[in-house]
Amino acid sequence: MVERVFITGCGVVSSLGLGREAFWSAAVAGRSGFSPVEGFDAAPLGRTVAAQVKGFNARDFLSARECTQAGRAASFAIAAARMAVDDAGLAARSLETPRASVIFGTTMGEADVIARLDHAWIDRGPEALSPRVLPKYAPHMAPMLVARHLKTRGRVLTLPAACAAGNYALGFGFDLLRSGAADVVIAGATEMLQDLQYAGFVRLGAVAPTRCQPFDRDRQGLIVGEGSAVFVLETERHALARGATRLAEIGGYGLACDGYHITRPHPEGSGNVHAMREAIRRSGVTPAEVDFINAHGTGTRANDEVEARVIETVFAGRKVPVTSVKSMIGHCMGASSALEALTCVETLQSELYPPTMHYENPDPLCPLDVVANTARRGPARIVLNNALAFGGYDAVLCLAQPDVLPPPSERGS
Amino acid sequence: MRPLALGAPGVVSAFGIGVEAFDDAMRRGDKGFRAEVTAFAQPEGPLSVAEVANFDPRPVLGDKGLRNHDRITRLALVAARRCLEAAAIKREGAFVAPFTGEAVGVVSATAYASIEAVTELDRVARLEDPRYLNPGRFPNTVTNSASGYVSIWEGLKAFNVAVTNGPTSGLDVFDAASMYLADGRAEAALVGGVEALSEGLWRGFDRVGMLDRGDGKGARLGEGAAFFAVETLDRARRRGVTPGLVVSGYGSTFAAPDDTARLVTPSAEALREAIGLALETAGCRADAVSLVIDGTNGYEAHDAVEAQALGALLPGASRVSPKMALGETLGAAGSLALVEARRRVAAGHRGPILVTALGYYGNASALVCQGPENLA
Repeated sequence: MVERVFITGCGVVSSLGLGREAFWSAAVAGRSGFSPVEGFDAAPLGRTVAAQVKGFNARDFLSARECTQAGRAASFAIAAARMAVDDAGLAARSLETPRASVIFGTTMGEADVIARLDHAWIDRGPEALSPRVLPKYAPHMAPMLVARHLKTRGRVLTLPAACAAGNYALGFGFDLLRSGAADVVIAGATEMLQDLQYAGFVRLGAVAPTRCQPFDRDRQGLIVGEGSAVFVLETERHALARGATRLAEIGGYGLACDGYHITRPHPEGSGNVHAMREAIRRSGVTPAEVDFINAHGTGTRANDEVEARVIETVFAGRKVPVTSVKSMIGHCMGASSALEALTCVETLQSELYPPTMHYENPDPLCPLDVVANTARRGPARIVLNNALAFGGYDAVLCLAQPDVLPPPSERGS
Repeated sequence: MRPLALGAPGVVSAFGIGVEAFDDAMRRGDKGFRAEVTAFAQPEGPLSVAEVANFDPRPVLGDKGLRNHDRITRLALVAARRCLEAAAIKREGAFVAPFTGEAVGVVSATAYASIEAVTELDRVARLEDPRYLNPGRFPNTVTNSASGYVSIWEGLKAFNVAVTNGPTSGLDVFDAASMYLADGRAEAALVGGVEALSEGLWRGFDRVGMLDRGDGKGARLGEGAAFFAVETLDRARRRGVTPGLVVSGYGSTFAAPDDTARLVTPSAEALREAIGLALETAGCRADAVSLVIDGTNGYEAHDAVEAQALGALLPGASRVSPKMALGETLGAAGSLALVEARRRVAAGHRGPILVTALGYYGNASALVCQGPENLA
């Protein structure tokens, strides 16, 4: 029997704060996570703002030994995973089983580690490459260190799906549970911000000067961010057996690849249309039943226009409330769709749509029902989390309140 | 896992472009190692790498559109193009019925992606100015870039999934593909892996002390790419297609290293458990396995761990180690191991073959494959 899959715990490290409560209260209040860039000099690039995590003390979550081995992305991941496990009320040793897996997404992993190594190599020659630091760089180290922290024994996997990586990881975890390959999956994504990525986005012409205005007529681009969000996923049987609180059900997800351009979405959003329809169909619902969409909403001209076209196409003109929390947390690259999946979970829990900030002048090319500038109360039984990414990736996740979706046997495949 | 039917592969290896070059060299027992490298400036001191020497993608891909692609992307594109042609999914650039671009996905492994691109752009930013970063090359720094370009070049739109998991990545992609295909997300997928030599990658492994610097102790890095055209065995049978190889079992586990362990700490326990899971999912007894294609690469500390696990579970099986001819190809190693398994099946091997991969930090994966004649 194919089982339902539930989210039973969430943890988050973000520019809006640490933990669910800090994140969500800031998001519904429309607070900004943007601040002057720290850690490198961005001024020569003509941009000085980012959505960095500040006030994060790894030692609050990691042992002293772990702090020496984990880079910033892995530290975020371990902290968020620890919070998620605590939020789920999982007993300390309950994850020490081959039936518990860790699945993560990222774009580049420990980008600052390789930057530090590169700088040492450039400045002082190859002998300056530290054998102790080198292994920290590998893009798959964050979930490995999460697995060691939690002592899980099932498979550990990294899906580097760029800015859609969170949805990929949640989807893969969903598949593992549904197929019977695991009972519990710790799924999420992590990303840290460093100078090369920041400069790269600036050179692509994608970074706004001070603020991110998704779907606004005068939008100027994204604000680069960082963070991590991690979830405890369980089969219904496992969750019920231990009396867990079911926060949200994962109904299904859709994938596609534009096969068009490495950084630009397909002009008609063909892959995104397919992925969104698949997420809805595989959850056993119709577009008419979707209450809210957490948009990819980067605030770039190309993305927002295409995404609006996709939503118009899939919903046949029905105006579904749409928000982009990137207007507050920035574009956290590999972690973005995980952070936004958390937004969806909290929306399902509270029936409150967080706002899209700085939405001042509607763009006629983005004719959406944007939740503008203040949070809005509304039905939230079924929601979508939309993500696009470098490589032409499209991944859409459908989440629902518990006991709303039809049984898995009545859903599409 | 849902059994997978593997069709003809596309291969780029130290023996050159094409599966024929691979098969001929492996049959002869050739080694792909050279003391000179062309992919980057020759380092000081003794060197031995299994490079795709003087790699030129243009005879396969044409002259256009390659300027901003890094080495790993070019390797992936050549292997993918060759695979699509060999498996008759595309001919002269067009899809061959019943295949369409919307019905074919990509699942691609890499361990370190494009360190070449990251170090190149870091140098521009450090030595010149970050404002001089080439925006056309910046996407190469993203881990899934090469995988994404395969879809872009070939119009493969069902899905594109990159996997990065160190040396196990190349086996992990086959289980991922099994889930996606069994779930009806595509009719078929290109599944495989790629890794490219670069100075940064080589110096990193060298500084960690894992490489052979002329004393015969240590691994020798390699590079390459291999993709298979993959569909579920059920679907292949419905089409009346006889696969070259069937993948029927997979396992992957993690055994947490203790708190004092280094970040390079392999686990025999994880490998034993992964092998057990792979055999269990394949419905195969350990004593039925007569051949193991392992991950032995010359790095003694890891080879001993792998030998310990295999010796305990499969003491009577023959072992072959493609990395001792192809080099440590990291993300490409799993699919290259399956290219070797396919060659051995074609040459007459009968019975299940176990393929193993030992991760660097407590993880391990194993996979069971066999020729189609063994299946009911």
